Amino acid sequence: MIDSESTKNLSGQAFDRRDFLKVLGFGGTAVALSGCGNTSIEDGKETVVSYVEAKDYVIPGVAVYFNSTCAQCDAGCSITGKIREGRVLKLEGNPESSINRGKLCGLGQASVQHHYNPDRVREPLLRNGDKGQAISWEKAYELINEKLQGAKGEEVAFITGDVSGHQKVLLTNYIDSLGSKNHFVYEAVAPAVVRAGNLKSYGVEMPRYRIDKAKVVLSFGADFLGTWISPVHFAQQYAAFRKGVDGQRGVLIQAESKMTLTGANADRWLAVRPGTEGILALGIINALGIATGDVAELVKDYDRARVSRDTGVEPSNIDKIAAILRLRSPSLILAGSAAEGYVHGMQNADAINLLNHVLGNVGKTIEAPVSVPFPQLTQTKGNTASLKKLNDDLAAGKYKVLFNIATNPVYTAPASYKYGDSMAKAGFKVAFAHYLDETALQADLVLPLDSEMEDWGTHVPEYLADTAQINIQQPLMERLHANTRGMGDILLTLVKQRKPEEYKAFDDYYGYLRYAMLQNKAALGGSGDDDVFWNDTLSKGIVKLSGASGALSAKAAVEGLKLPQPEEADKQYPLRLIPSVTSNLRDGRHTNQPWIQESPDPLTTIVWDSWVEVHPKKALELGIVEGDIVKVTSKTGSVNVQVYVFPGIHPEAVSIPMGRGHEAMGRYAKGYGVNPFGIMDAVFEGSTGELAMHETRVNIAKTGQRVIVVKDEGPAGGKQMGRRVALSRSTDQVDLSKEV
Amino acid sequence: MSVTNLLNNWAAVRHFHPIDDKPHDPYKWAMAIDLDACIGCNACAVACYAENNLPVVGREKFQHGQAMHWMRIERYWNEDSREFPDQGAEFLPMMCQQCEAAPCETVCPVGATNHTQDGLNSQIYNRCIGSRYCSANCPYKVRYFNWYDYPTTDNVWPAEMNYQLNPDVTVRGKGVMEKCTFCVQRLRAAEVTAKGEGRIVREGEVQTACQQSCPTNAISFGNLVDPESRVYKQWKAQQVDLAKDEQEKDKREGGTDLRGYRIFEDLRPYPSVMYLERVRESAV
Amino acid sequence: MHRYLRFPFMLASFLVAVACHAATEQTLTTEDDLGPQVQQPIEFPHYRHAGNRNPVDPTNSDPTKGGMEINCQYCHTYARRSLTAGIPPLQKCVGCHQNIPTVRDKPRIVELFKYWDAKKAIPWKKVHDLPDFVRFNHERHIKRFIEQQGRPVQEVCGYCHGQVKEMVTARRQKPITMGWCVSCHMKEHVVVAKGAIPEGGTPIGKQDYWYTFQKPAETRNAEGELTAKGPNDCWLCHK
Repeated sequence: MIDSESTKNLSGQAFDRRDFLKVLGFGGTAVALSGCGNTSIEDGKETVVSYVEAKDYVIPGVAVYFNSTCAQCDAGCSITGKIREGRVLKLEGNPESSINRGKLCGLGQASVQHHYNPDRVREPLLRNGDKGQAISWEKAYELINEKLQGAKGEEVAFITGDVSGHQKVLLTNYIDSLGSKNHFVYEAVAPAVVRAGNLKSYGVEMPRYRIDKAKVVLSFGADFLGTWISPVHFAQQYAAFRKGVDGQRGVLIQAESKMTLTGANADRWLAVRPGTEGILALGIINALGIATGDVAELVKDYDRARVSRDTGVEPSNIDKIAAILRLRSPSLILAGSAAEGYVHGMQNADAINLLNHVLGNVGKTIEAPVSVPFPQLTQTKGNTASLKKLNDDLAAGKYKVLFNIATNPVYTAPASYKYGDSMAKAGFKVAFAHYLDETALQADLVLPLDSEMEDWGTHVPEYLADTAQINIQQPLMERLHANTRGMGDILLTLVKQRKPEEYKAFDDYYGYLRYAMLQNKAALGGSGDDDVFWNDTLSKGIVKLSGASGALSAKAAVEGLKLPQPEEADKQYPLRLIPSVTSNLRDGRHTNQPWIQESPDPLTTIVWDSWVEVHPKKALELGIVEGDIVKVTSKTGSVNVQVYVFPGIHPEAVSIPMGRGHEAMGRYAKGYGVNPFGIMDAVFEGSTGELAMHETRVNIAKTGQRVIVVKDEGPAGGKQMGRRVALSRSTDQVDLSKEV
Repeated sequence: MSVTNLLNNWAAVRHFHPIDDKPHDPYKWAMAIDLDACIGCNACAVACYAENNLPVVGREKFQHGQAMHWMRIERYWNEDSREFPDQGAEFLPMMCQQCEAAPCETVCPVGATNHTQDGLNSQIYNRCIGSRYCSANCPYKVRYFNWYDYPTTDNVWPAEMNYQLNPDVTVRGKGVMEKCTFCVQRLRAAEVTAKGEGRIVREGEVQTACQQSCPTNAISFGNLVDPESRVYKQWKAQQVDLAKDEQEKDKREGGTDLRGYRIFEDLRPYPSVMYLERVRESAV
Repeated sequence: MHRYLRFPFMLASFLVAVACHAATEQTLTTEDDLGPQVQQPIEFPHYRHAGNRNPVDPTNSDPTKGGMEINCQYCHTYARRSLTAGIPPLQKCVGCHQNIPTVRDKPRIVELFKYWDAKKAIPWKKVHDLPDFVRFNHERHIKRFIEQQGRPVQEVCGYCHGQVKEMVTARRQKPITMGWCVSCHMKEHVVVAKGAIPEGGTPIGKQDYWYTFQKPAETRNAEGELTAKGPNDCWLCHK
């Protein structure tokens, strides 16, 4: 697809080297308006812009496709960009990737709107009072160098999101070169407790889950179709699972306090009292009656009556679940946010994972992970405990220079951290940013980043599917704004300040990346000519490797497993707040992409705003109806938000989605909705120190105001012309064997 | 289809049902959507925004019911007064059903919406005068009207965002009706290529944007005339006949164990989209 | 206008339009309809490139200077591969002209090399401009008339673009309106070269189905070749 000449020249400065990525004028293949009235033919008015030089495969009006990697979340889906006249128009999944196999979720589709976003930062900005003053890159680099001269290694800190690949190598080298050990990897939404639980239960942090091999999946709040780890991959496994192993359709049971997208697709959805998922898991082991030894000893007190009383799940349902798990094997038990959100999160995860051991699923539907044989490239594992540590350090005034690389903790830190104040104590704050978000606004120096469609890079996702792979990221079009820079390029320039000798051979990050990949050509499965290998790698967008498989531990970890009794309701704050993670908004970094804002939440169909989900029973009790603005108050703070009466939530809980309520970032994000992080109590999971997001207790009070909820759902209660149009039937009424 | 032609042949047009004369040769584009595979994730809807230059209308206009989503995911609850929706929700992707005897076509005063030979319900923007009769007559409510001139509306396609617009699809101005086209720009490109090579479009050669993005492959799309196509096989296996307003299998005593159905079939629009009912496990 | 008056007004204008349409329909021909002379950044002489070589040819506009009879598709290389004809890249002009020293100092060529040295694209003006909701497919027409029927290239391009080989800078000669397009599509054309449908090919003969709402009878011309009208589907060009 790419010939060697064009890629080799990419390291040059002139832009015409890559003519085909250059934006061609709209003439010729017009993007313009239709409509009545616009029928005049204006010969000779419009200019058609042509290429100066063109590659043979570049034909105006015919799309060119390039492979790259989606950077909207950490799942690492491979994408194919459709490029016409130098503009990237649309992204599709790359069928060659074993992760997403040609598919792409809505969030991934929307990343073109990240690239073309009108609110991107375009120039390096230096704080000048309340304003940002545009400065040159040379000045910015000089300034960083100058500030670092006055700081010792331990006085410099970095906060990043998950990074992998060669950007991570450069970043690590840069941090080392400064003599700093303070790299905080922060992800507001990360499966950190699940990782720790897996390590204890299976001996690995992230095994491969095989939903497609399971006949029954029992998921405790793991929203694997929406947000959990690698949703596009799991959705494909789910499709195979529904088609069935040996012709028997897979059964999905979801136990959680707030219905997720996955819960909405379950055959049986169980509303569990918040925090009692572990008890339910032990109750099911008890009902299974197949456990022996110390496991049997552990669960012997968890009889149906007690479990039902504690969790709110009917005894008959516990029996049915135990029966189907006994009958259909292999099954798969998943621990998701239900495990993560509580002080006893690890205990919950252990109890849930124990079920897999009891049912003999380990090794069948839970497989050993594959890993890329280059440990320096693997993904860092972000968590929330790191932010707590950083915040404490900052508050103690430990850091003189803070690098904030593409994270937004001012928005995602619980309000009680007062992260903004802590951050202010660092002498010099550098933010690498795409938008002037809440954190970038507090920085002293803002460095504008390229979008993922302008930048080079490699990525190694944490969750690898069939084979180990390194994903290639390459520009899909010419840089849109002249003064943005790729993260790799910035890091390379910075590391050159420290170690000029080691890096002098590399003009830019592209050169570094190409060199680094070619150095390992044999290990990457390449042979022969360098250019051939490199061009082949770029055109595929993926390097597949025969990665090493880890080993699972077969022994159940029951030691120290002790679940607390559910607490009595707090009188002042009787409700649990569940800050929900929705598949489009996630932690709010994509809120400024209008497709995301206008894409209805799958369950409530609400757009452009936040809401608080209240169970109909609770709503009746409190005398509130849909659209009432209520004040949701926790110990930490309060927000005013519209009510959506939602049946898929436990009556003792209310839920507010994350991702909205931005005070900055851009025109599509600012001022829409509320931010649940603002009222989250700082409570932590016992053994990992992760923020326990489900532990906040709130009360709600009417404000007397009422609005019309902006949603896609029709007023007729889901009927059209008085009739149900979405039909369903049970498995005993249908013959799936005849289907194509 | 010129206006003269329309007027001269009005009686024929009014009562015309293409199936009577087997015109669908070599193409009849149709779809099958498996509701058991659909997870309601909205990927298809966003892909449609990207492919078809759909405007983002913003909060206020959305509230007024002026959203322009050609493809929408409808969410239904099983209303049986249980405390919790313990069988989950039901999701239904809804878009233009490309009816064979489309109610919208006969009411258009200017012939801006009419039937194509390959079984699509076309919408010709430059002919449309915005009477909105078609939308009023559509039982599925899948036609969307441009109440505003979105290209010149603030923050719909501000600078640079307009670079994303697909040059193969017209950007609609104020006062015209629009709807799902089955990604006609992709179909036509494939048809023209095939015609140039003296063959018909092969199965899998053309995908709609929604089908391409769907993570669970819930949407299949293809040529209903081609016995090799997945759509043909699915319609056949489900015993759904395009030309019937009531399927034989539904008349059978004791019902059917097949789950294919079409929405509002009895209104006789002869829709080209077959849905497969969602399945729930009876053992739990 | 008052909102209640809007519909009667629309209806009236529609009827007027119908009446006008009916009155003019018979006059739709391929008559010439000269467009404006468009000022181009470089006065590109089409007749020198595409014109007839023979100086005594009466169709040659300048008998003292013959043309080079270059195939249209040599420069307009995208037309056969894409919907849009596009404009040849500057590289194409220079590719030949760097080897033609005899005309190197002529003002037009000097101008050309100015653009080339600056690596700047020439801002040509569009001569055949269609409304933005029309997508005419060049590739399809070239496939049918040149590749399948083997008609001469200049004749085929000339159906719509006129006698470009006699022009200096191109000027629109045909109306290029929808009615004008349709006037050709309503004629009976030979289906493919020598009357044969390729093995397993599309039954092109049925494409005029929508003209009459009745199944078309097979039509043949005097030579016994299968003929058919052009497609008449709005959605081919308007989408």
